[in-house]
Amino acid sequence: MTPVDTGLAGEYAAIYAYGTAAVHLSGALRDLAEALEAEHRDRRDALLGFYDGHGLEAAPAQPSYDIAPIEDAETAQALLLDVEERLATAWRAGVASEDHAEREICLNMLVECAKALARWRIALGSSAAEPWPGRPAD
Amino acid sequence: MFTTRRGLLVGAAVLAAAGCTETPAKIIDSDDDLTTALRRARALSRAAEALGYDDVAADHLAHAATLERLLLPRSVGDGDAEEPIADAVALAEAETAASGEAREACLTTTGDYAVLFGEIAASRAAHAAVIA
Repeated sequence: MTPVDTGLAGEYAAIYAYGTAAVHLSGALRDLAEALEAEHRDRRDALLGFYDGHGLEAAPAQPSYDIAPIEDAETAQALLLDVEERLATAWRAGVASEDHAEREICLNMLVECAKALARWRIALGSSAAEPWPGRPAD
Repeated sequence: MFTTRRGLLVGAAVLAAAGCTETPAKIIDSDDDLTTALRRARALSRAAEALGYDDVAADHLAHAATLERLLLPRSVGDGDAEEPIADAVALAEAETAASGEAREACLTTTGDYAVLFGEIAASRAAHAAVIA
């Protein structure tokens, strides 16, 4: 799998997670989740365009994804934050690619993940600051 | 033996010149990008702190500390004076511009530094998004 394959699979999973978790949220958090789900759909479409543009075949989304049980708003928030962090890590790894086009799209996606993470953290009342988005914890 | 990045590069060049490798060592010339990123990180840190964005300032200080280590043993000054950043709107604009600089460096450097510049570009873009 290429880094873009991994990232696309992550975007599919993120869309599924948002679709499953957002209904457990309300108010501003629900609005944020819906906005970010729409952004993930846009990113998926941009990625599919990348595959088309390079004559590559993209893997399809799975019918469902194995996600942590969602019992309430708190577990829904935790799941979605975790999804964004994992996605950022996946896209960050792709930035090391020596293929320019691959590096560029991975960088674009990492930047969008960092913005999404910052918005989530602010919505949850914590600091948005993160010097190394996507870097795995030690 | 070669405890700094520059030392490693010099060492690689020395070994190549001595015929110890089959292919010539490739000297990575990223110092200009690292220097630019360092000066920008310092300037943004000062501006963010002055405007009360202490957590954002801390991110920039973390970037600066890493960039300073990578540039050792060279010591980098602050460079030319820049336009003051007077408010949150100006800070967000400066973060966006600085993110673009780091993005460009990411896309034009070798893989060794691409991730570093990519992380910095993403961090700065996130600052701009939340400050705005």
